[in-house]
Amino acid sequence: MEKIVLLIPSIPIVIAFILFFVNKKELMPKISIMLSSMVAALALYGTYYVMCYDTPITGFGGLVIYNELSSILVPYVAILGLVIRKYATKYMWDEPGYKRFFILLNFIFSAIYLLVMSNNLIVLAVAWQLMSISLYLLVSFNIRSKSAVKNGSWTMLTHKLADLLFLIAVVLTYKTFGSFDLAELSQKWLIMSENPIDDPRIYVIGFLFLFAAMMKSAIMPFHLWLPYTSEAPTPISGLMHAGVVNVGAILLNKLAFLLLLTPMVLNVAFVMGLITAIFASLLMLVVSDIKRSLGYSTVGQMGYMIMEVGLGAFSLAIYHLMVHGIFKATMFLESGSLIKHARHDPNIPKRLSYELFWEEKANYSSKKMFRLLAIFTILPVVIFIGIKMILAEEFFHFNAAIVILAFAWLTGTQLFLSFFKVSKSESLKVVFALVSSFIIILFTYEYLGLALEHFLYGENALRFYEAATMNVTMLMSLVLLGAIVIVGWLFMYKQHFVDVPKSKDKPNKTKWLFYKILAKEAYFSDIYLKYFKFFK
Amino acid sequence: MFLNIILLFLFAGVPYYIFFEKTKVLKNDKIFLVSAALFLGGIVLASLYPQERSNSLVVISLITSVFSIYKATKTSNFYKVSYYMLFINAPVFMMFDLKHSIPYSVSLLITLFGIYFIGKYYERNYKSANYYSISGVTIATPYAGIALTIYIITLALYPPFPNAILFIGNILASEINTLWYITVVVIFFGNFFIAMRIMTKTLFGKPNVTIHYVDFSSKDKFIHFLILVTLAIFSVWGFQEVIQ
Repeated sequence: MEKIVLLIPSIPIVIAFILFFVNKKELMPKISIMLSSMVAALALYGTYYVMCYDTPITGFGGLVIYNELSSILVPYVAILGLVIRKYATKYMWDEPGYKRFFILLNFIFSAIYLLVMSNNLIVLAVAWQLMSISLYLLVSFNIRSKSAVKNGSWTMLTHKLADLLFLIAVVLTYKTFGSFDLAELSQKWLIMSENPIDDPRIYVIGFLFLFAAMMKSAIMPFHLWLPYTSEAPTPISGLMHAGVVNVGAILLNKLAFLLLLTPMVLNVAFVMGLITAIFASLLMLVVSDIKRSLGYSTVGQMGYMIMEVGLGAFSLAIYHLMVHGIFKATMFLESGSLIKHARHDPNIPKRLSYELFWEEKANYSSKKMFRLLAIFTILPVVIFIGIKMILAEEFFHFNAAIVILAFAWLTGTQLFLSFFKVSKSESLKVVFALVSSFIIILFTYEYLGLALEHFLYGENALRFYEAATMNVTMLMSLVLLGAIVIVGWLFMYKQHFVDVPKSKDKPNKTKWLFYKILAKEAYFSDIYLKYFKFFK
Repeated sequence: MFLNIILLFLFAGVPYYIFFEKTKVLKNDKIFLVSAALFLGGIVLASLYPQERSNSLVVISLITSVFSIYKATKTSNFYKVSYYMLFINAPVFMMFDLKHSIPYSVSLLITLFGIYFIGKYYERNYKSANYYSISGVTIATPYAGIALTIYIITLALYPPFPNAILFIGNILASEINTLWYITVVVIFFGNFFIAMRIMTKTLFGKPNVTIHYVDFSSKDKFIHFLILVTLAIFSVWGFQEVIQ
């Protein structure tokens, strides 16, 4: 009975075939939504089964599997798919190619389900490539637009390169380990990790998979396809930013045990992820196009995700991709109506925090504010360490903890300072609300994260942190963390307390040059435009 | 060795189409038919007399392949594209094991016949097999658009269509060396670039207002339906083969 869950990837294909013969426009979304609800129901049943019986569902000769990872991701994708289909029903109504849109949408969902549920490298390769072509056809959906087609070609080129690396990696994996079966391979890799061997071929395989994942997840320097495909219809953008772009992290999670054998690959993933996160976040602030800015925001998040993988926090990457996916899909799908309302009311979007806590103070005490700021800078670290000590003390045995701590501090301090505007409002009510909500949110986040980690990898979870550990002493890590905190604190202090004199002189040359480079997106798009004219 | 040289010629490892193009002895559609016939002859001959093929012949076919990629970027004629694609894939037949390369070559031929029939359809309705400036086919002629989309995706080596799956079978079954890497990259990207080039120029773009677009007739639909069903069967079969 439970084997029926394994039919999930084929249901969207069936829907696409049915839609092909349906001519009544009203019926297309109805059929699509109705049958996709079946996928969501099946996915939830599968998750229930895996959680209750603590055993994966396998079938079709072991080609597909509904395991712990599938039971988290398939319901997520299915529910996301339902929302996107519902949204597209009205949004796409007047667009030419309504039927084509729903058919292609079903194909890409089929590819995503197959990718998540595959238990065989050949099936994974098929799903991996099927997703590339479906994405290209969706991104170039507006076939009349030259720029949409051109940007689609960039996407296609990057994805094709990822496909090639992936295929070579599959061939090398088969030649080295003699199997396509992922469950069998994972078992083999896990045993091998107990007595690691220094085989360069395994490293090559690891790097090939990593680079394939980086290309599909828009990690620098392969990032350009994502910010430049925002011309696609909004439901497609929503799907792309919430689902498709996450496949890199999904792939690396599926191959997590292979990466146990290749610590250097994890270290490279960390560095590339870190660079992408910082660089894309900077670009996001500078580019003038709002949709491209959102694209860079996603690139930055993908950077964080790959960085998490590089730290050995594989389950955190899955948690991150889901949370970010829900957030980004909401942003994209909500943007249309928000713009519509904002045209009538300048106070939209409203901020609840403003209504609750906003209190304008013309003459605030500088001393008091200094103390408050100092507290807000240290408090996130203290809270984070406290919660981690309660939930998972062993986490501090690995130096990944320091990096995660640094980012938790950055996020926490940023949240405290910018969200509640402490520079103008410092009542006790604000401080209490801030601290209590931060503790509750962080505790919930950490608790769920750990539960997910235990569910996905059980007792093996700590092995990943161990494998990802760089050759840096704890003292050095702490010194580095201290330096980040001090620099960050000084920066914030300057931002909030030091009046910047309004000079009539020209801006500083170095700053101006830096800004110019960022505004030009580090000339990546120019290089692509100049040298990558393949389909002309 | 002599047999290998004949096979190199039959398996499109030598760009003999230059002769036909220069002398105009044969029209473009006939060049494709002749190449296809020679190719089938090559398959029969290779099956009857299995031979080890030398690396130097693979290198010659690789040069032909690269040259044909260049030639394919200079044309917008469906017939020409059909036989150029055959020559682009020549290294597959010269390098990989016959057991795996024959299904790939048959699947490739079926797809190219699809393109050939699209050329015929263009010739009948637009007076030439040239696709230049007949853009926006996806919207203007949906049935022709679907058939062309599938052929192009198949040629671009994307699954679930058979060429991609059988290509994986080929590369899995062969021994890895430097020539293997070069051949895989050339075939993988050569097919992709040419196919995508056709896609952007035919399926995408605004429909040309000066052209009266005509979609598939019942006969066209039947022919292409048969080709697509054959490709689907090949896909399923190919997938089972690769998995085994």
